[in-house]
Amino acid sequence: MSSIKEKFNQISPSEFFYSNRDLAGFSNPTRSLYTAVREFVENALDACDQKGVLPEVHLIIKAVDPEKSDPKSYILTVKDNGPGVDAKHVPLAFGTVLYGSKFGLKQARGMFGLGATMAILYGQITTNKPVIVKSSTDGKTQDAFELLLDIQKNKPIIVKHTTKEVSKKGLSVSICLEGDYSKAGIKIRDYVYETSLITPYASITFDDPKGQKFHHPRFVKEIPPPPTIIKPHPHGIDVERIRRMIVESQFEIPNIDDVMIEKVRKDLGLSKQNLSFIAIMEKAKKKWKSLSRQVRVVISLTSFLKMDFEKLNKIRIEDIDMPNKKLFYWDFGDSQSKSVDMDPESKYYKQLTNTVQGEPLTTFLTKRFQRVGPTTATKFAEFAGFKPEKRMGAMTNQELVQLSDSLQKFDDFLAPDPSCLAPLGEEPLEKGIKKFFKPDFTAVVQRPASAYSGFPFIIEMGIAYGGEIKSGGPHVYRYANRIPLLYDEGSDVVLKVVNDTDWGRYKIKGEPPFIIVSHICSTRIPYKTAGKENVADRQEIERELRLALQYLSRKLAAYMSKRGQAEMAKKRANLYAKYIPLIAQFCTELAGKKKEPNYKKLLEEEIPIDSKKAIEEENQIENQ
Amino acid sequence: MKISKSKELSKKTKEKQKNILEMLKTHGAKIYDNLDNGQFPKFSIPSRSVSNIVYDKKLRQYILGNNSALRSAKNSSQLRSFTQLMWLAFFANRLTQEKKSSTLRDVYYSSQAFAIEFEDQSESDNIIVDLEAVTSKPREDFHIFPEERSSIFGDLNIEYTIPGYEGKPMNLSNHPDGYSIGPSLTTAELVDTSAEIVIAIEKGGLFTRFVEEQIDKKFKSIIINTGGQAPRSTRTLLKRLHDEMGLPVIVLTDGDVYGEHIAMVIKSGSANAAHLRELTVPDAKWVGVWATDIEKYKLPTIPMTESDIKRCYDLQKDPRYQDGIWKKELDVFLRIKRKAELEAFSKYGLTNITDKYLPQKLELAKSL
Repeated sequence: MSSIKEKFNQISPSEFFYSNRDLAGFSNPTRSLYTAVREFVENALDACDQKGVLPEVHLIIKAVDPEKSDPKSYILTVKDNGPGVDAKHVPLAFGTVLYGSKFGLKQARGMFGLGATMAILYGQITTNKPVIVKSSTDGKTQDAFELLLDIQKNKPIIVKHTTKEVSKKGLSVSICLEGDYSKAGIKIRDYVYETSLITPYASITFDDPKGQKFHHPRFVKEIPPPPTIIKPHPHGIDVERIRRMIVESQFEIPNIDDVMIEKVRKDLGLSKQNLSFIAIMEKAKKKWKSLSRQVRVVISLTSFLKMDFEKLNKIRIEDIDMPNKKLFYWDFGDSQSKSVDMDPESKYYKQLTNTVQGEPLTTFLTKRFQRVGPTTATKFAEFAGFKPEKRMGAMTNQELVQLSDSLQKFDDFLAPDPSCLAPLGEEPLEKGIKKFFKPDFTAVVQRPASAYSGFPFIIEMGIAYGGEIKSGGPHVYRYANRIPLLYDEGSDVVLKVVNDTDWGRYKIKGEPPFIIVSHICSTRIPYKTAGKENVADRQEIERELRLALQYLSRKLAAYMSKRGQAEMAKKRANLYAKYIPLIAQFCTELAGKKKEPNYKKLLEEEIPIDSKKAIEEENQIENQ
Repeated sequence: MKISKSKELSKKTKEKQKNILEMLKTHGAKIYDNLDNGQFPKFSIPSRSVSNIVYDKKLRQYILGNNSALRSAKNSSQLRSFTQLMWLAFFANRLTQEKKSSTLRDVYYSSQAFAIEFEDQSESDNIIVDLEAVTSKPREDFHIFPEERSSIFGDLNIEYTIPGYEGKPMNLSNHPDGYSIGPSLTTAELVDTSAEIVIAIEKGGLFTRFVEEQIDKKFKSIIINTGGQAPRSTRTLLKRLHDEMGLPVIVLTDGDVYGEHIAMVIKSGSANAAHLRELTVPDAKWVGVWATDIEKYKLPTIPMTESDIKRCYDLQKDPRYQDGIWKKELDVFLRIKRKAELEAFSKYGLTNITDKYLPQKLELAKSL
């Protein structure tokens, strides 16, 4: 890991993002204000989700000078009741780019906490004000930091650090940034509103710059089960990722320094004795089984160096060249580089091979990837044209590319494990839809997990009709990993699927009062742009969306036809009520009678039965 | 003699009125009982669709076949028309009981007072036809008359039966403009006449000419202006003159296909009134102007229009046009594709038609 981070440091990620801030959604004051709100709110919700805390998020936007016209400076504050950030991590977490806690493969709203740092960076660029971070991890002490970002060095500058006593855990982040609330306001309000629909277990409050308060209370008391972190699926991998995994999987050559030598001595039970090389090797042979891997490696090296502890202390291992069976080391005494040959027949040579060249391919596959067993791994090796025992560390660049390509193409891997996904669940989704739209009819569905390019995903969808829903539908509410998507709906795959639907087939005509809520959960949402606003039309995702929509549409159609029948019955009842009395009146005179016939039976008994039945059936459908 | 006949007829009229009221009461009572028993009332009504209109050779008119439709108050799509028909029966019942007359248009407007909605007069006219179909009685029996009026002139003594005029006598040759054939005349008793024939003529202009030329006296005739296609009240009167007074009826029309059909409707009714049996004068004779007359009398003509020709082809399919002069004249019209009006005889002088043509035709009629 550390080597990768160093690589980035050389380019300075801060500087990179500074010059490419459009990519992350900070293109203009309107969009930037909206994006900053999103990033902080989503971080807050993610933090609570991870620790299983029912989120309470408070968003405050205040104009620095309310008299000025937009665009102008705003103070954006987001407070949560999450676990907080350890004081020692705060400067790095909020004062550098690419520092985050969200590594590992599972569903989360944001990926690496990048967006929040981008917002801080944007605020600093536009107003030159520090970010204020207040954090309490124990609910007793709160650390408050004022931080600036050193863009060239990608390092935090602590302007101020204070502590005080508090009574609640949580994090509060406050930045000053240039924004345009008069334009962004509607989107931000929509965002907060729509977020509370897909996060029914959160309580979200928004104080806007005009002094209006938008409060969305929690209406579901349970947090949906959190996702688990899992290993990657072979289909979702690329060369770079394999390279990193190999680095992670290799055992590092131990540094033979004083500490290490002390450890070896101790493990061999030779703390106070200075034995010869031969004696050391014999002792090691006896104790081999109880030795740790590290110690075994040192012993193996020693076997070729043929040195005692005193001599070992005066050299540094430079390289272990397995193909040429040579061991290079630096001799401090002679101040020069030396080498010894290694006997490939020696059992110590095998020990080094394992350490230096990494795991065999099959082990690599079964240990590092999800749902790959030994049989599949062997089959794959054959498919990819590698020997199963091929050492990962010995792969050339070309072989890595070949491996990566083959991993994509091999069809016999099991489908990705969806346990890393955290869909909302049908019940909370339905509850949310009913509360938000007060419809006459609601149906929800959660599709079984599916996958595209090795990334598992789950589609959740809900449909609602009538009631207080405005006509002119379908109105589509799009979500991805519990984030509402508000911009760029035109090119979105969900919209495509909705627009492709022939609603007439489902007895829905004209400008119907109905809404569709679509939620895509995945470890990686295939956004079309870095701004995270529209989802690309991956074939697998499109198919699942279509199936979900068809299922719901059929339910809606069934409801519509019952509703039609109920309406007909009602209409019929009205007609009877209007005309039967007239018929009674006329036939009374025709028949020469004085008293009208008792037609009330007809109106009271016969008709309600029909409509009662229709209403019952309607309810049945709704409850299905 | 006269008086006794009048009384006898008056009794007959009263009998008829009683029957009508009785029938309406029966229908009403049935529906009353249905409702009282918690059932949706229903009745069957002869179907008036084209497929159910057949020509009866014996009766020499179009009649309805055996198909009938059930009209039920339970069927929400029929409920409205069911109620309308009920109202009409109720309204007709009042008219008949109180011996008041109404017109088609009047019925349409009267409905509004009872919260019965008709979209337009044609909808209410249609319901009136429904009532006729259910009861097999013409609307005139329910005191409902059309707006258009035709007229009558000649030596015919009648006695009114309408309220306020009961028993009042009238001679229909007293007024040279003729008498309008309205409800009071249609319902009047026909007492006696010196006439020996009824001449029905299509046009008002010729009717006036005939009166001026005293055709009624010269040919001992009653002259009736049908005003184009004869209204049903006029057809009823023609039938009564034929049946009750034993007078033959001849029809004189323009020399075109429409004229020919005016004569045919008087003789054997129209498909529109296939549900009624008392509107035809099967012995009525069409005496002209024939297509062959156009050639024979060298009458000035005008060419037939597209619709005239189409009408010819339509009538060729009608079973009543399959033989006799009906077929022959139709064929000639189609051949010459020209037509002539009654006024065409003016070419030979204003009185030519009465002096020359009519006597010839009257003579000819005897042999038809």
